[in-house]
Amino acid sequence: MDMENQRRIKEAADKYGQDELIIVLGGAEAEASGLAAETVSNGDPTFAGPLAGVQLGLKAYHIMEPDVKAEVDPAVYEEQVSLMEMVMDADAIAAEVKSIREQFTS
Amino acid sequence: MASNKLRIVHYINQFFGGIGGEDKADIGPFAKEGTVGPGMALAAATAECAEVVGTVVCGDSYFNENLEKATAEVLERVKAFQPDIVVTGPAFNAGRYGMAAGAVAKAVTEHLGVPVVSGMYPENPGVELYRKYAFIVETGNSAAAMRAAVPAMAVVIKKLAAGKQPLPGPDYMPRGLRKNFFASERGAKRAVNLLVKRLRGDHFSTEYPMPVFDRVEPNQAIKDLTRAKVAFVTSGGIVPKGNPDRIEASSASKFGKYSLADLTDFNPDNSQTAHGGYDPVYANQDADRVVPLDAARELEKEGVIGKIHDYWYATVGNGTSVANARKFAAAIAEDLRQYDVDAVVLTST
Repeated sequence: MDMENQRRIKEAADKYGQDELIIVLGGAEAEASGLAAETVSNGDPTFAGPLAGVQLGLKAYHIMEPDVKAEVDPAVYEEQVSLMEMVMDADAIAAEVKSIREQFTS
Repeated sequence: MASNKLRIVHYINQFFGGIGGEDKADIGPFAKEGTVGPGMALAAATAECAEVVGTVVCGDSYFNENLEKATAEVLERVKAFQPDIVVTGPAFNAGRYGMAAGAVAKAVTEHLGVPVVSGMYPENPGVELYRKYAFIVETGNSAAAMRAAVPAMAVVIKKLAAGKQPLPGPDYMPRGLRKNFFASERGAKRAVNLLVKRLRGDHFSTEYPMPVFDRVEPNQAIKDLTRAKVAFVTSGGIVPKGNPDRIEASSASKFGKYSLADLTDFNPDNSQTAHGGYDPVYANQDADRVVPLDAARELEKEGVIGKIHDYWYATVGNGTSVANARKFAAAIAEDLRQYDVDAVVLTST
Protein backbone atom coordinates (compact mmCIF):
# COMPACT_ATOMS: atom_id res chain seq x y z
CA MET A 1 0.00 0.00 0.00
CA ASP A 2 1.45 3.37 -0.96
CA MET A 3 2.81 5.70 1.68
CA GLU A 4 0.16 8.39 1.28
CA ASN A 5 -2.67 5.92 1.83
CA GLN A 6 -0.90 4.46 4.85
CA ARG A 7 -0.52 7.95 6.27
CA ARG A 8 -4.21 8.75 5.72
CA ILE A 9 -5.36 5.53 7.35
CA LYS A 10 -3.07 6.10 10.30
CA GLU A 11 -4.51 9.61 10.74
CA ALA A 12 -8.07 8.33 10.51
CA ALA A 13 -7.33 5.58 13.05
CA ASP A 14 -5.80 8.12 15.45
CA LYS A 15 -8.82 10.37 15.05
CA TYR A 16 -11.70 7.87 15.17
CA GLY A 17 -10.23 4.85 16.94
CA GLN A 18 -10.17 1.23 15.97
CA ASP A 19 -13.83 0.48 16.75
CA GLU A 20 -15.18 3.18 14.50
CA LEU A 21 -13.25 2.31 11.40
CA ILE A 22 -13.21 -0.44 8.82
CA ILE A 23 -11.21 -0.41 5.64
CA VAL A 24 -12.82 -1.25 2.31
CA LEU A 25 -10.38 -2.41 -0.32
CA GLY A 26 -10.66 -2.33 -4.09
CA GLY A 27 -7.46 -4.18 -5.06
CA ALA A 28 -7.64 -6.11 -8.31
CA GLU A 29 -6.03 -9.32 -7.14
CA ALA A 30 -5.62 -11.47 -4.07
CA GLU A 31 -1.99 -10.91 -3.12
CA ALA A 32 -2.18 -7.11 -3.28
CA SER A 33 -5.48 -7.09 -1.38
CA GLY A 34 -4.02 -9.38 1.27
CA LEU A 35 -0.97 -7.14 1.65
CA ALA A 36 -3.23 -4.10 2.07
CA ALA A 37 -5.37 -5.92 4.65
CA GLU A 38 -2.24 -6.93 6.54
CA THR A 39 -0.89 -3.40 6.40
CA VAL A 40 -3.92 -1.91 8.20
CA SER A 41 -4.11 -4.70 10.78
CA ASN A 42 -0.64 -6.01 11.58
CA GLY A 43 1.52 -3.27 10.04
CA ASP A 44 3.17 -2.78 6.65
CA PRO A 45 4.75 -6.16 5.77
CA THR A 46 7.17 -4.43 3.40
CA PHE A 47 8.32 -2.12 6.22
CA ALA A 48 8.48 0.82 3.84
CA GLY A 49 5.61 3.06 4.94
CA PRO A 50 4.24 4.90 7.97
CA LEU A 51 2.50 1.72 9.14
CA ALA A 52 5.75 -0.27 9.38
CA GLY A 53 5.68 -1.82 12.83
CA VAL A 54 2.35 -0.14 13.64
CA GLN A 55 -0.43 -2.56 14.49
CA LEU A 56 -3.66 -0.65 13.97
CA GLY A 57 -5.74 -3.82 14.23
CA LEU A 58 -8.23 -2.51 11.67
CA LYS A 59 -10.49 -4.93 9.89
CA ALA A 60 -10.30 -4.79 6.11
CA TYR A 61 -12.94 -6.09 3.72
CA HIS A 62 -12.89 -6.20 -0.02
CA ILE A 63 -15.72 -4.40 -1.81
CA MET A 64 -16.66 -7.67 -3.50
CA GLU A 65 -17.07 -9.65 -0.28
CA PRO A 66 -20.76 -10.57 0.06
CA ASP A 67 -21.21 -8.80 3.42
CA VAL A 68 -19.95 -5.52 2.04
CA LYS A 69 -21.70 -5.90 -1.28
CA ALA A 70 -25.01 -6.36 0.58
CA GLU A 71 -24.56 -2.96 2.22
CA VAL A 72 -24.15 -1.13 -1.08
CA ASP A 73 -27.04 0.29 -3.12
CA PRO A 74 -27.36 -2.31 -5.91
CA ALA A 75 -27.62 0.40 -8.58
CA VAL A 76 -24.39 2.03 -7.41
CA TYR A 77 -22.65 -1.35 -7.16
CA GLU A 78 -23.83 -2.23 -10.64
CA GLU A 79 -22.46 1.01 -12.02
CA GLN A 80 -19.16 1.13 -10.13
CA VAL A 81 -18.06 -2.43 -9.41
CA SER A 82 -19.92 -5.12 -11.31
CA LEU A 83 -17.94 -4.73 -14.52
CA MET A 84 -14.69 -5.35 -12.64
CA GLU A 85 -16.26 -8.18 -10.69
CA MET A 86 -16.59 -10.11 -13.95
CA VAL A 87 -12.87 -9.97 -14.68
CA MET A 88 -11.52 -10.34 -11.15
CA ASP A 89 -11.16 -13.54 -9.16
CA ALA A 90 -13.57 -12.43 -6.43
CA ASP A 91 -13.47 -15.72 -4.53
CA ALA A 92 -9.68 -15.80 -4.27
CA ILE A 93 -9.57 -12.15 -3.22
CA ALA A 94 -12.29 -12.64 -0.58
CA ALA A 95 -10.58 -15.76 0.79
CA GLU A 96 -7.22 -14.00 1.08
CA VAL A 97 -8.63 -10.88 2.75
CA LYS A 98 -10.69 -13.00 5.14
CA SER A 99 -7.71 -15.13 6.11
CA ILE A 100 -5.64 -12.02 6.88
CA ARG A 101 -8.54 -10.59 8.90
CA GLU A 102 -8.81 -13.76 10.96
CA GLN A 103 -5.07 -13.92 11.47
CA PHE A 104 -4.49 -10.37 12.65
CA THR A 105 -7.73 -8.94 14.08
CA SER A 106 -9.96 -10.04 16.90
CA MET B 1 21.05 -4.24 26.26
CA ALA B 2 23.64 -6.96 26.74
CA SER B 3 27.05 -5.89 25.53
CA ASN B 4 27.86 -9.25 23.94
CA LYS B 5 25.30 -8.70 21.22
CA LEU B 6 26.50 -7.98 17.70
CA ARG B 7 26.17 -4.37 16.63
CA ILE B 8 24.28 -4.29 13.33
CA VAL B 9 24.33 -1.20 11.14
CA HIS B 10 21.66 -1.23 8.45
CA TYR B 11 21.82 0.46 5.04
CA ILE B 12 18.52 1.15 3.22
CA ASN B 13 17.29 3.40 0.40
CA GLN B 14 14.95 6.40 0.58
CA PHE B 15 11.87 4.29 -0.10
CA PHE B 16 12.37 1.92 2.82
CA GLY B 17 13.65 4.88 4.83
CA GLY B 18 10.11 6.26 4.64
CA ILE B 19 11.19 9.35 2.70
CA GLY B 20 9.40 8.56 -0.53
CA GLY B 21 9.59 6.90 -3.92
CA GLU B 22 11.30 7.84 -7.15
CA ASP B 23 10.63 11.57 -6.67
CA LYS B 24 12.73 11.55 -3.48
CA ALA B 25 15.52 9.34 -4.82
CA ASP B 26 17.97 12.26 -5.01
CA ILE B 27 18.21 12.65 -1.24
CA GLY B 28 21.74 12.45 0.16
CA PRO B 29 22.78 10.07 2.93
CA PHE B 30 21.82 10.55 6.56
CA ALA B 31 22.05 8.39 9.66
CA LYS B 32 19.63 7.62 12.45
CA GLU B 33 20.19 5.74 15.67
CA GLY B 34 18.30 2.47 15.98
CA THR B 35 15.97 0.99 13.38
CA VAL B 36 14.13 2.50 10.44
CA GLY B 37 11.54 0.61 8.33
CA PRO B 38 12.62 -2.97 7.62
CA GLY B 39 15.21 -2.65 10.39
CA MET B 40 12.33 -3.24 12.79
CA ALA B 41 11.72 -6.68 11.33
CA LEU B 42 15.46 -7.34 11.20
CA ALA B 43 15.88 -6.39 14.87
CA ALA B 44 12.98 -8.61 15.92
CA ALA B 45 14.34 -11.57 13.96
CA THR B 46 17.87 -11.27 15.38
CA ALA B 47 17.08 -10.00 18.89
CA GLU B 48 18.69 -13.02 20.59
CA CYS B 49 22.15 -12.25 19.23
CA ALA B 50 22.22 -8.76 17.76
CA GLU B 51 21.10 -5.20 18.05
CA VAL B 52 20.45 -2.75 15.23
CA VAL B 53 22.39 0.21 16.55
CA GLY B 54 22.01 2.51 13.60
CA THR B 55 20.56 2.96 10.13
CA VAL B 56 22.02 4.83 7.18
CA VAL B 57 19.58 5.95 4.49
CA CYS B 58 20.46 7.23 1.02
CA GLY B 59 18.44 7.97 -2.11
CA ASP B 60 19.08 5.56 -5.00
CA SER B 61 19.57 8.31 -7.58
CA TYR B 62 21.93 10.25 -5.33
CA PHE B 63 23.98 7.14 -4.65
CA ASN B 64 24.26 5.96 -8.24
CA GLU B 65 24.87 9.40 -9.71
CA ASN B 66 27.58 10.28 -7.15
CA LEU B 67 29.00 6.82 -6.67
CA GLU B 68 32.38 7.65 -5.15
CA LYS B 69 31.21 10.55 -3.04
CA ALA B 70 28.10 8.75 -1.82
CA THR B 71 30.04 5.58 -0.99
CA ALA B 72 32.44 7.61 1.15
CA GLU B 73 29.62 9.51 2.84
CA VAL B 74 27.69 6.33 3.62
CA LEU B 75 30.82 4.53 4.81
CA GLU B 76 31.66 7.34 7.21
CA ARG B 77 28.18 7.17 8.75
CA VAL B 78 28.25 3.37 8.95
CA LYS B 79 31.67 3.48 10.61
CA ALA B 80 30.50 5.99 13.23
CA PHE B 81 28.14 3.34 14.64
CA GLN B 82 31.08 0.90 15.10
CA PRO B 83 29.40 -2.10 13.48
CA ASP B 84 30.25 -5.75 14.05
CA ILE B 85 28.17 -6.57 11.00
CA VAL B 86 26.55 -4.49 8.27
CA VAL B 87 23.25 -5.35 6.64
CA THR B 88 22.25 -3.77 3.30
CA GLY B 89 18.75 -4.00 1.84
CA PRO B 90 17.06 -6.34 1.10
CA ALA B 91 16.88 -4.76 -2.33
CA PHE B 92 14.73 -7.45 -4.05
CA ASN B 93 14.81 -6.73 -7.80
CA ALA B 94 15.35 -2.96 -7.50
CA GLY B 95 18.43 -2.53 -9.71
CA ARG B 96 19.77 0.76 -8.44
CA TYR B 97 19.05 -0.14 -4.82
CA GLY B 98 20.92 -3.42 -5.39
CA MET B 99 23.84 -1.54 -6.93
CA ALA B 100 23.97 0.81 -3.94
CA ALA B 101 23.61 -2.04 -1.43
CA GLY B 102 26.43 -3.85 -3.23
CA ALA B 103 28.71 -0.82 -3.41
CA VAL B 104 28.24 -0.25 0.32
CA ALA B 105 29.07 -3.92 0.94
CA LYS B 106 32.27 -3.55 -1.08
CA ALA B 107 33.33 -0.41 0.78
CA VAL B 108 32.58 -1.97 4.17
CA THR B 109 34.51 -5.14 3.29
CA GLU B 110 37.52 -3.19 2.05
CA HIS B 111 37.65 -0.49 4.69
CA LEU B 112 36.00 -1.84 7.85
CA GLY B 113 36.62 -5.56 7.42
CA VAL B 114 33.34 -6.65 8.99
CA PRO B 115 30.94 -9.12 7.34
CA VAL B 116 28.06 -7.82 5.23
CA VAL B 117 24.70 -9.52 4.81
CA SER B 118 22.30 -8.48 2.06
CA GLY B 119 19.24 -9.79 0.25
CA MET B 120 18.48 -9.59 -3.47
CA TYR B 121 16.57 -11.26 -6.27
CA PRO B 122 19.06 -13.38 -8.26
CA GLU B 123 18.70 -11.19 -11.36
CA ASN B 124 19.40 -7.95 -9.51
CA PRO B 125 22.55 -6.52 -11.17
CA GLY B 126 23.93 -5.95 -7.67
CA VAL B 127 24.35 -9.71 -7.28
CA GLU B 128 26.53 -10.13 -10.35
CA LEU B 129 28.72 -7.16 -9.50
CA TYR B 130 29.06 -7.37 -5.73
CA ARG B 131 28.47 -11.01 -4.70
CA LYS B 132 32.09 -11.27 -3.56
CA TYR B 133 31.57 -8.66 -0.88
CA ALA B 134 28.48 -9.89 0.92
CA PHE B 135 26.47 -12.89 1.99
CA ILE B 136 23.62 -12.10 -0.40
CA VAL B 137 20.52 -14.05 0.53
CA GLU B 138 18.19 -14.92 -2.34
CA THR B 139 14.85 -13.07 -2.06
CA GLY B 140 11.68 -12.70 -4.11
CA ASN B 141 11.53 -9.91 -6.65
CA SER B 142 9.44 -7.32 -4.80
CA ALA B 143 8.95 -5.89 -1.33
CA ALA B 144 6.01 -8.26 -0.90
CA ALA B 145 8.71 -10.87 -0.25
CA MET B 146 9.96 -9.02 2.85
CA ARG B 147 8.27 -11.56 5.14
CA ALA B 148 10.47 -14.36 3.80
CA ALA B 149 13.59 -12.25 3.18
CA VAL B 150 14.15 -11.04 6.74
CA PRO B 151 14.13 -14.48 8.42
CA ALA B 152 16.48 -15.81 5.71
CA MET B 153 18.90 -12.95 6.34
CA ALA B 154 18.54 -13.55 10.09
CA VAL B 155 19.72 -17.16 9.61
CA VAL B 156 23.01 -15.88 8.18
CA ILE B 157 23.39 -13.23 10.88
CA LYS B 158 22.77 -15.77 13.67
CA LYS B 159 25.35 -18.14 12.22
CA LEU B 160 27.91 -15.36 12.02
CA ALA B 161 27.07 -14.34 15.60
CA ALA B 162 27.65 -17.93 16.74
CA GLY B 163 30.99 -18.02 14.94
CA LYS B 164 29.70 -20.48 12.32
CA GLN B 165 30.10 -20.23 8.56
CA PRO B 166 26.86 -19.77 6.62
CA LEU B 167 26.53 -22.23 3.74
CA PRO B 168 26.80 -21.10 0.13
CA GLY B 169 23.69 -22.33 -1.65
CA PRO B 170 21.20 -22.94 1.13
CA ASP B 171 22.01 -19.79 3.13
CA TYR B 172 23.22 -17.30 0.52
CA MET B 173 24.13 -17.00 -3.14
CA PRO B 174 27.67 -18.34 -3.70
CA ARG B 175 30.27 -15.58 -3.62
CA GLY B 176 32.78 -17.21 -5.94
CA LEU B 177 35.55 -16.97 -3.34
CA ARG B 178 38.19 -19.70 -3.09
CA LYS B 179 39.50 -20.92 0.23
CA ASN B 180 42.50 -23.12 0.98
CA PHE B 181 41.99 -26.33 2.90
CA PHE B 182 43.88 -29.58 3.47
CA ALA B 183 42.34 -32.55 1.68
CA SER B 184 43.02 -36.04 2.96
CA GLU B 185 43.89 -37.37 -0.49
CA ARG B 186 46.13 -35.75 -3.03
CA GLY B 187 44.80 -34.20 -6.24
CA ALA B 188 45.85 -36.96 -8.65
CA LYS B 189 44.01 -39.58 -6.61
CA ARG B 190 40.91 -37.44 -6.32
CA ALA B 191 40.95 -36.83 -10.07
CA VAL B 192 41.20 -40.55 -10.81
CA ASN B 193 38.41 -41.28 -8.32
CA LEU B 194 36.27 -38.72 -10.08
CA LEU B 195 37.02 -40.30 -13.46
CA VAL B 196 36.22 -43.79 -12.18
CA LYS B 197 32.91 -42.59 -10.80
CA ARG B 198 32.10 -40.98 -14.09
CA LEU B 199 32.99 -44.10 -16.10
CA ARG B 200 30.87 -46.22 -13.80
CA GLY B 201 27.97 -43.86 -14.29
CA ASP B 202 27.91 -43.02 -10.56
CA HIS B 203 26.97 -39.63 -9.26
CA PHE B 204 29.94 -37.28 -9.32
CA SER B 205 30.52 -33.60 -8.86
CA THR B 206 33.41 -31.36 -9.76
CA GLU B 207 35.56 -29.75 -7.08
CA TYR B 208 35.73 -26.60 -9.12
CA PRO B 209 32.56 -25.58 -10.91
CA MET B 210 33.30 -23.69 -14.08
CA PRO B 211 31.83 -20.22 -14.20
CA VAL B 212 29.24 -19.57 -16.88
CA PHE B 213 30.27 -16.67 -19.07
CA ASP B 214 27.76 -14.84 -21.18
CA ARG B 215 30.22 -13.53 -23.72
CA VAL B 216 29.16 -12.22 -27.07
CA GLU B 217 31.75 -12.43 -29.81
CA PRO B 218 31.99 -9.12 -31.64
CA ASN B 219 30.84 -9.33 -35.21
CA GLN B 220 33.03 -8.65 -38.22
CA ALA B 221 33.73 -4.95 -38.70
CA ILE B 222 31.63 -3.21 -41.34
CA LYS B 223 33.67 -2.95 -44.50
CA ASP B 224 31.95 0.02 -46.05
CA LEU B 225 29.76 2.17 -43.82
CA THR B 226 28.75 4.33 -46.78
CA ARG B 227 26.77 1.38 -48.15
CA ALA B 228 25.60 -0.08 -44.83
CA LYS B 229 22.03 -0.14 -43.58
CA VAL B 230 22.03 0.83 -39.90
CA ALA B 231 19.21 0.21 -37.43
CA PHE B 232 18.44 1.53 -33.98
CA VAL B 233 17.46 -0.79 -31.13
CA THR B 234 16.99 0.65 -27.67
CA SER B 235 16.24 -0.56 -24.16
CA GLY B 236 15.80 3.10 -23.21
CA GLY B 237 12.05 2.96 -23.79
CA ILE B 238 11.83 5.51 -26.63
CA VAL B 239 8.39 4.97 -28.16
CA PRO B 240 6.01 7.04 -30.29
CA LYS B 241 4.10 9.64 -28.27
CA GLY B 242 1.39 7.93 -26.24
CA ASN B 243 3.25 4.59 -26.00
CA PRO B 244 0.84 2.81 -28.40
CA ASP B 245 1.89 -0.72 -27.37
CA ARG B 246 1.70 0.14 -23.67
CA ILE B 247 5.24 -1.10 -23.03
CA GLU B 248 5.56 -1.38 -19.26
CA ALA B 249 7.72 1.14 -17.36
CA SER B 250 9.33 -1.75 -15.54
CA SER B 251 9.74 -5.48 -16.21
CA ALA B 252 8.75 -5.11 -19.86
CA SER B 253 6.86 -8.04 -21.37
CA LYS B 254 7.24 -6.85 -24.96
CA PHE B 255 9.11 -4.68 -27.42
CA GLY B 256 7.75 -2.37 -30.12
CA LYS B 257 8.69 -1.83 -33.76
CA TYR B 258 8.05 1.67 -35.05
CA SER B 259 8.43 3.42 -38.37
CA LEU B 260 11.21 5.94 -38.87
CA ALA B 261 10.32 6.43 -42.53
CA ASP B 262 8.99 9.98 -42.14
CA LEU B 263 11.07 11.03 -39.16
CA THR B 264 14.26 13.06 -39.21
CA ASP B 265 14.25 14.23 -35.64
CA PHE B 266 12.57 13.22 -32.39
CA ASN B 267 10.61 15.89 -30.53
CA PRO B 268 8.10 15.97 -27.64
CA ASP B 269 5.18 15.68 -30.13
CA ASN B 270 6.32 12.49 -31.82
CA SER B 271 8.08 10.55 -29.08
CA GLN B 272 8.54 9.92 -25.38
CA THR B 273 10.18 7.40 -23.10
CA ALA B 274 8.20 4.58 -21.51
CA HIS B 275 11.10 3.79 -19.18
CA GLY B 276 10.55 3.99 -15.42
CA GLY B 277 13.12 4.24 -12.67
CA TYR B 278 14.91 7.32 -13.96
CA ASP B 279 14.11 10.98 -14.49
CA PRO B 280 12.36 10.97 -17.89
CA VAL B 281 12.31 14.76 -18.39
CA TYR B 282 15.34 14.99 -20.68
CA ALA B 283 14.35 11.96 -22.73
CA ASN B 284 10.81 13.32 -23.16
CA GLN B 285 12.13 16.75 -24.16
CA ASP B 286 14.27 15.28 -26.90
CA ALA B 287 14.35 11.52 -27.45
CA ASP B 288 17.41 11.98 -29.70
CA ARG B 289 19.29 12.00 -26.41
CA VAL B 290 18.53 8.28 -26.12
CA VAL B 291 18.19 7.30 -29.80
CA PRO B 292 20.33 9.79 -31.76
CA LEU B 293 18.15 9.93 -34.87
CA ASP B 294 18.90 13.57 -35.73
CA ALA B 295 22.66 13.03 -35.82
CA ALA B 296 22.26 9.78 -37.75
CA ARG B 297 20.07 11.45 -40.38
CA GLU B 298 22.78 14.08 -40.90
CA LEU B 299 25.39 11.36 -41.36
CA GLU B 300 23.03 9.66 -43.77
CA LYS B 301 22.65 12.91 -45.74
CA GLU B 302 26.41 13.45 -45.79
CA GLY B 303 26.81 9.93 -47.11
CA VAL B 304 28.80 8.68 -44.13
CA ILE B 305 26.12 6.05 -43.45
CA GLY B 306 24.44 4.28 -46.35
CA LYS B 307 20.92 4.21 -44.98
CA ILE B 308 19.04 4.34 -41.69
CA HIS B 309 16.70 1.35 -41.39
CA ASP B 310 13.04 2.34 -41.70
CA TYR B 311 12.10 1.03 -38.24
CA TRP B 312 13.38 1.35 -34.75
CA TYR B 313 12.85 -1.23 -32.05
CA ALA B 314 12.25 -0.31 -28.42
CA THR B 315 11.75 -1.92 -25.08
CA VAL B 316 12.32 -0.95 -21.46
CA GLY B 317 15.40 -2.31 -19.73
CA ASN B 318 14.27 -1.40 -16.22
CA GLY B 319 13.83 -4.63 -14.21
CA THR B 320 13.32 -6.63 -17.41
CA SER B 321 14.28 -10.25 -16.90
CA VAL B 322 17.26 -11.66 -18.75
CA ALA B 323 15.01 -14.36 -20.20
CA ASN B 324 12.64 -11.78 -21.69
CA ALA B 325 15.49 -9.62 -22.95
CA ARG B 326 16.94 -12.64 -24.73
CA LYS B 327 13.58 -13.44 -26.28
CA PHE B 328 13.12 -9.86 -27.53
CA ALA B 329 16.66 -9.81 -28.92
CA ALA B 330 16.12 -13.01 -30.89
CA ALA B 331 12.87 -11.71 -32.39
CA ILE B 332 14.37 -8.31 -33.23
CA ALA B 333 17.47 -9.89 -34.75
CA GLU B 334 15.30 -12.11 -36.93
CA ASP B 335 13.36 -9.08 -38.14
CA LEU B 336 16.55 -7.11 -38.84
CA ARG B 337 17.79 -9.98 -40.95
CA GLN B 338 14.66 -9.91 -43.08
CA TYR B 339 15.43 -6.29 -43.94
CA ASP B 340 19.13 -6.97 -44.65
CA VAL B 341 20.29 -4.63 -41.93
CA ASP B 342 24.10 -4.53 -41.72
CA ALA B 343 24.65 -2.91 -38.34
CA VAL B 344 22.75 -2.01 -35.21
CA VAL B 345 23.23 0.86 -32.79
CA LEU B 346 22.14 -0.30 -29.33
CA THR B 347 21.28 2.40 -26.83
CA SER B 348 20.04 2.37 -23.25
CA THR B 349 18.94 5.08 -20.81
